[in-house]
Amino acid sequence: MIPKYKAFPRGYEFKNFEGQPEGKLIQIKIPAGVTIPLRQGFGNEVTPVVEPGQRVAAGQIIGRDDESVSSPVHSSVNGKIAKIGKIDYLGREVGAITIESDGTGDWQKLQGCSSDWQGLSAEKIGELIYLSGAGASGRAGIPTEFNSSVIAPAEVENVIIQGVGSEVHNLSPDVLLKGEGLSHFIEGLKILKKVMAGARFHLVLNKSQKSLINEVSQLLPTDNLINFFTVTPKYPVDHDEVLTPLLLGGKFPHGYSVANIGVVVLDIQAVLHVYEAVAEGKSLIERTVALCGPGFREKLHVKLRLGSPLEHVIRDNVDADKKLRLVLNSCLTGQRLSDLSLPVDRTFTTVTALLEENESQFLAFARPGFRRDSYSRTCLSSLFKKNSKMFQKTCGTNVHGELRPCIFCTFCEEVCPVSIIPHLLFQHVERDVIDENLLRYKIFDCIECNLCSYVCPSKIPVAEFIKKGKSGLISEGFEIPAPDTALKGLEKYKSVE
Amino acid sequence: MKIVRLLLDSLYKIPVVNKAEPLIEAIDAALFGTTDTTQRGPHIVDAIDTKRYMSCAIAALLPATLASIYFYGLRAILIIAVSYMAGFFVEFMFAVVYKHKIHEGFLVTGLIFPLVLPPTTPLWVVAVGVMFGVLFGKEMFGGTGRNIFNPALVGRLFITIAFPAIMTISWLMPITDATFTDKWLTPFGDTAITDAITAATPLAVYKTTKVVASFPDLLTGNTAGSMGETCRIAIIIGGLFLMFTKAGNWRIPVSYIGSVFVFAAIGNYFLPDSIAPPGFQLFAGGLMFGAFFMATDPVTSPFTCAGKYTFGIMCGVLTVLIRSFSGYVEGVMFSIVIMNALAPLIDHIVLSLKYRPVKV
Repeated sequence: MIPKYKAFPRGYEFKNFEGQPEGKLIQIKIPAGVTIPLRQGFGNEVTPVVEPGQRVAAGQIIGRDDESVSSPVHSSVNGKIAKIGKIDYLGREVGAITIESDGTGDWQKLQGCSSDWQGLSAEKIGELIYLSGAGASGRAGIPTEFNSSVIAPAEVENVIIQGVGSEVHNLSPDVLLKGEGLSHFIEGLKILKKVMAGARFHLVLNKSQKSLINEVSQLLPTDNLINFFTVTPKYPVDHDEVLTPLLLGGKFPHGYSVANIGVVVLDIQAVLHVYEAVAEGKSLIERTVALCGPGFREKLHVKLRLGSPLEHVIRDNVDADKKLRLVLNSCLTGQRLSDLSLPVDRTFTTVTALLEENESQFLAFARPGFRRDSYSRTCLSSLFKKNSKMFQKTCGTNVHGELRPCIFCTFCEEVCPVSIIPHLLFQHVERDVIDENLLRYKIFDCIECNLCSYVCPSKIPVAEFIKKGKSGLISEGFEIPAPDTALKGLEKYKSVE
Repeated sequence: MKIVRLLLDSLYKIPVVNKAEPLIEAIDAALFGTTDTTQRGPHIVDAIDTKRYMSCAIAALLPATLASIYFYGLRAILIIAVSYMAGFFVEFMFAVVYKHKIHEGFLVTGLIFPLVLPPTTPLWVVAVGVMFGVLFGKEMFGGTGRNIFNPALVGRLFITIAFPAIMTISWLMPITDATFTDKWLTPFGDTAITDAITAATPLAVYKTTKVVASFPDLLTGNTAGSMGETCRIAIIIGGLFLMFTKAGNWRIPVSYIGSVFVFAAIGNYFLPDSIAPPGFQLFAGGLMFGAFFMATDPVTSPFTCAGKYTFGIMCGVLTVLIRSFSGYVEGVMFSIVIMNALAPLIDHIVLSLKYRPVKV
């Protein structure tokens, strides 16, 4: 099947940055202890169903709550429950279970799984997806007959599977789909199709990954049940808010999730998790994470047990004398990972180690910029080939200039993926004019991708101001404008914190 | 480098000298860049800053500047130097009194202004013009980013009206046949000036005699005119560089030059006596320079795309009208200043058409 190219006119393509992960995949050894947060991925926090001191097996459910919108969490190792407590995890307090591992690598199978999954009923497959924890994938979960998402499988109209990778550093789909991975992925698609039988399926891949596209197009079922697209990886084209309207048309319900308009967006790894759950009975205890960025000695992919402390994962791969900043999933919007004792959970895709560039550079503004990235073509790097090995662009945390007043260069407006005028909103918020004019200029359309702050020559944190404007409006009693279309699963959506 | 660092660090501490802190800071920032790092997201940011942005604008002006120095020798260098010094003085005093930083925008103003002056302009007039421009064109509005008019144009307009004799009558042909001593070594270049041939600009010639200057002369700059505006080849090269680096938006020059061409073509067809032919209009006077370097000033032109096209088209229409039907032979300066004043209105109209008011 020949993919159809979808052009995204806005956004910005991050090309040729240093520290891309290589195609190597290594297995991280099982840690001495893991911490399993009771809220991972989409859903509410679940209640523990184990007691301290109890022995658990890898793959055993240790927390579930069938009443509220959630997916169960599992022990990722064989061992003994050491503690049930609370941790401060990525900016919020969640319950967490600490397990001492006995070091063995085997895991418990889910009951009822079958490599001949065609024989299973849709309900049974849904149950396996739910019980495996894979149901928490994506921004609003995978709908099953259980409470893993805000909508039921029958309400799903479109399923989008994306492997675009528009961030500065991306997990390589080649690593996930190596060897049997590709056929598992196709099987996973078919499994999902059985669960959400009424939905149209769309697969979208990065245009530049030609060999993958070729392989996939040969293996895809030819019954026209799946639409195949390619896109240029212009950030943030793979964010739900941008990808969904691009492929399906219509408008994104800002302030809600795609599930509310009957769409499920999943990445490649989520589909593989579904396959593993249904065909192999493997719960979500392992995940592939890319370690990227100039701060790592070796840039590669690692397969690790969920709940492994970050320190355990990166220990052998960083130099102690370098000042690093670890960033989760995205250099543009990701959280800073400052506490290395925190565990890796289901939401980890990439960990980027940036160098803290807090040293000044002589005549920085007049340097030719062979290895500096700029949206404008004021750096010579813009003249080089897209994958020039010699001139890979650096990525450090220096701001490269002093704060200045806005000069209306309109760079932010040109890149804005949702066609709002960021500098106009900034002017209002900066002067503390928080009123209905902000609504008029569609402040709530902002998806907080931070691209406007990235390109600003005056070094204004534009996106920060827009966020401030949004929260200012809400505290003044303004409401996010209601979308035109009827929304599904609103009650459930609101029940998820 | 370490010595410079130490020197700067000690300058911050010396009691009287550190009154000039904005200057020390500006030098410090230009030489050593910033040590600040990003705080929240985004963790990495674009390598551009206003210094780099303005440097590109200056680089784009270089071909025209070099051409003017080639044509008018020491005189051109002196005028540019006086413009920078006098303008910088005003910028600096404002930074000290109002305790803000010295902004880079001045570097471009200080170079654009001398390039649109006749080479015979007395140096004291240059100083008065640039000081007026920076003071009333920019600082009065609150500095870079808040000004309504292009500061270089405000200065140029002021001296055009205040000293009409200097500004509209005495034009020079490029000094190509003067001796080396005359052109480069005479103090203030005055001998060279007196010996050079004065001539009317091509637009003035056309107005009185309906004779169109030859295109090779217009392109290479072998005509009378302001210092930087005559060598159109240099301007086009610089202008394309400006568009390429995105330091100037392409929409304004394209719509400006395009509308001059279209409107002059239509006008010349119906009123050949008063409206000059389109090809001549494009390459005569300050159109190329104005369209590429002055109308594109992001601060004083509209920021919406539709607004930019409107701005360019209306500039073009006004330019042709003023050139053809007013007492002045050139209309680029007036049309850009008039449109600068209308830019906020254009944006307002575009925004109100694009974004409907919400009911609360």
